[in-house]
Amino acid sequence: MIAVLGWLVIGAAAPATRVPRPYPSDPFPSTYRPAPSTDVLIRGAVVLDGLGHRFDDEDLLLQNGKVVALGKRLVAPAGAQVIDAQGRWVTPGIIDVHSHDGDFALPLTSDNTDTNESTDWNTANVWAEHSVQPMDPAFSRALASGVTALQVLPGSVNLFGGRGVVLKPISAVTMQAMKFPGAPYSLKMACGENPKFFYGGKGRFPATRMGNVAGYREAWLAARRYKADWDKYERYGGEPPKRDLKLDTLAGVLDGDIRVHMHCYKADEMAVVLDVAREMGYRVTAFHHATDAYKIPVLLRQSGTCVAVWADWWGFKVEAEDGIPENAALLDAAGVCVMMHSDSPAIGQHLNLEAGKAAAAGRRAGLDIPPERAIRWVTSNPAEALGLADRIGTLEPGKNADVVIWSANPLSVYSHADQVFIDGALLYDRSKPAAGPSSDFELGRAASELPQ
Amino acid sequence: MKKALVLATLAALLPCAPAHAETIAIVHAKAYTLTAAEPIEDATIVMREGRIESVVAHAPAPADARVVDATGRIVTPGLFNSATGVGLVEVSSTDDTVDQAVKASPLGAAFDVQYALNGNGEPVRQARAEGVARAIALPTGSGGAPFLGQGALIHLLPGMSILERPGAVMVVGIGGSASSGVGGSRSAAWQILRNALDESRAFKRPADGREATPRDQLLNHLDAEALQPVLSRQVPLLIQAERESDIRQAIRLMEDENVRVILCGGAEAWRAADALAAHHIPVILDPFADMPDSFDQLGARLDNAALLQRAGVLIAFALTDTFSSVYKTYNAGGVLREAAGLSVANGLPWIEALKALTLNPASIWGAAGHFGALAAGEDADVVIWEGDPLDVSGWPAAVFLAGQPVSLRTRQTALLDRYRSAASTPAPRP
Repeated sequence: MIAVLGWLVIGAAAPATRVPRPYPSDPFPSTYRPAPSTDVLIRGAVVLDGLGHRFDDEDLLLQNGKVVALGKRLVAPAGAQVIDAQGRWVTPGIIDVHSHDGDFALPLTSDNTDTNESTDWNTANVWAEHSVQPMDPAFSRALASGVTALQVLPGSVNLFGGRGVVLKPISAVTMQAMKFPGAPYSLKMACGENPKFFYGGKGRFPATRMGNVAGYREAWLAARRYKADWDKYERYGGEPPKRDLKLDTLAGVLDGDIRVHMHCYKADEMAVVLDVAREMGYRVTAFHHATDAYKIPVLLRQSGTCVAVWADWWGFKVEAEDGIPENAALLDAAGVCVMMHSDSPAIGQHLNLEAGKAAAAGRRAGLDIPPERAIRWVTSNPAEALGLADRIGTLEPGKNADVVIWSANPLSVYSHADQVFIDGALLYDRSKPAAGPSSDFELGRAASELPQ
Repeated sequence: MKKALVLATLAALLPCAPAHAETIAIVHAKAYTLTAAEPIEDATIVMREGRIESVVAHAPAPADARVVDATGRIVTPGLFNSATGVGLVEVSSTDDTVDQAVKASPLGAAFDVQYALNGNGEPVRQARAEGVARAIALPTGSGGAPFLGQGALIHLLPGMSILERPGAVMVVGIGGSASSGVGGSRSAAWQILRNALDESRAFKRPADGREATPRDQLLNHLDAEALQPVLSRQVPLLIQAERESDIRQAIRLMEDENVRVILCGGAEAWRAADALAAHHIPVILDPFADMPDSFDQLGARLDNAALLQRAGVLIAFALTDTFSSVYKTYNAGGVLREAAGLSVANGLPWIEALKALTLNPASIWGAAGHFGALAAGEDADVVIWEGDPLDVSGWPAAVFLAGQPVSLRTRQTALLDRYRSAASTPAPRP
């Protein structure tokens, strides 16, 4: 955002004919509008605030789509709906930092596989949002599981997979109506086996891990020239640089507007990538999957890089062989920003359990991780990584009223998301089954109707 | 009585050599025997020479027994996972470590995974440390669709001898995604399957060494021989199918061919629950499967397990869903427990979910009375749990196979030990 404002200041003084730097703009703006809501007072819950605190018998007041107060014995404003949450738990909405929902829409036919633009190792020009099918039933499953925001990323076949987008898992006809207003864009990048295996297998570049790194550096050099051309044009005028969609995205990263989320399993590769980032002048916001991350906690902490992990995936590929279930707990204890991610619509319904499993693995290893701490892995930490910490991820006053009332401790397999609010609107209520599925795809299907 | 062992140290114990097999008494257990609806509180479980000798409340331990104090923890039979790659897969993305399937091969129904089993595989050791006592090592593809091959019942004892029963099951894959192997229609899958049973019935092993019957047209001799135990009802057909139409075809096949059928997958099985119950067809299902992953699974729902159990269908759990594929080989115990817990969250009684991990698969695989319950004479495969075994917060505190403690050390614990100090470098906690 700073870069955008910086340009506006300079631009204001520039001649009116000057073409604006194109890449900070969003030609596909959000049309999301919060659903109607009433004021809500949630009474007497066990509250995990997302900041690491737990409050028992606590009240939470939501007004005009925002969190207004968290405290004891709050007074219900006139007209507010009061929800008795005695014995139940309340958390910020769950945030999935790594989803393919909408791009890998269910059912998984070849017609619906729009995750990887696997035609070139650099497809920084593609945007995940342009594959999104809002009718994917995974969105409604995510919402019913407490998810209130999710980042949809391109796949990991390409070194530069394209732009990711943050959505709200609401019932909608268009992608724009689901788009989180004003959320920063991300760039998906990938390490390791996937790019080199896919392209190497076709006799193309890259065929090795060293090829992967050469590809990153080559592309960043081009992006630096592109950005320098725009900088020069803004200062001195002349012919505007020729627009390039790939370089738009990479230059947006160099400007700090677009966040790098990188698929990377192995510690050795993460260390190399952090050097590339330093060399080329950008930040890696988060490594995803990162099954090896527990081997390099200091490096990750020093670079301020988050990791998004599964609770217990390991072994299914060589680069994932060293995954251990204590990964998240060890990193958290070492002061690294940890997140649980889904990468699948199945885990996308159980991110609370991913946190529960990872916390239990920590306890087993002697690391005490109470629920109020583990819940950060699926709330405030991903909010931070998405650049949305000023709006979501905690129950601080002023934050969006993205709230889940759980039937029990959300880290237990027996818990259900009873009520899910987005921007203060009750969008899922387990006690009131909807008249029909929210996904158009699931509408009117005989196989899911009760037999006559 | 030997000195009581504090449970916390048990995990570090190396398993005893069989020659010195000790009698072990677990005392102060909350024992879910599964022979009764309620657990036995303060139970003493005596394990001698590989078998359970007794499970009795408040009983003293025998004088010659090593005593393990469970201090009130839940104790259950070892877990059973009915559909895994454990023993057949090391790294699933690396072909030369995967022995679950063949493609261009003369082996169809005859493909038998028993010769590939590797007791040293890390997924085996991991599953054992997660409390899995037994599993079906499942084939996933053969040279003769719709047959996927013959699965083996494995017993996860330490060492190389994990094969307990070869040819325990004949696996058949039916459905949209499986149809390419038979030319593109699931109808062809049913036709080829029925024909194979007919040809096998006509096939007689030539006792005098002469050529076999000329009926042998589509099926080769190996495959026809492999199907004989299916025809004689010694071995069940495991039919992997999700869609209601295929589930009802499986029921018809069972009626027409007089073979034993187990349904695996069964996303829409709840739609045929009464018919499945009436025909005593067990269902092996994945409680995670609640989405239309494919057009065969449009009716998938979270309470499938509860609806089937309520209708009287014998159910067992495995991680068969598209999105569970990693768990078939990795976390075959831990995530299986999570799946069972999820079924409880969606209406299945807790005790029924525990049965679907233990007693029910023993029944399905024809071993009721041998394992799957804590009762005198059963195999002493026993797990002491820290916390609730069906919740993600629980874990195995101690695992006994054939009456002896097994090591809970794995490659993962070795990595943890090597790196935990690196991770515990002091840092400010935000």
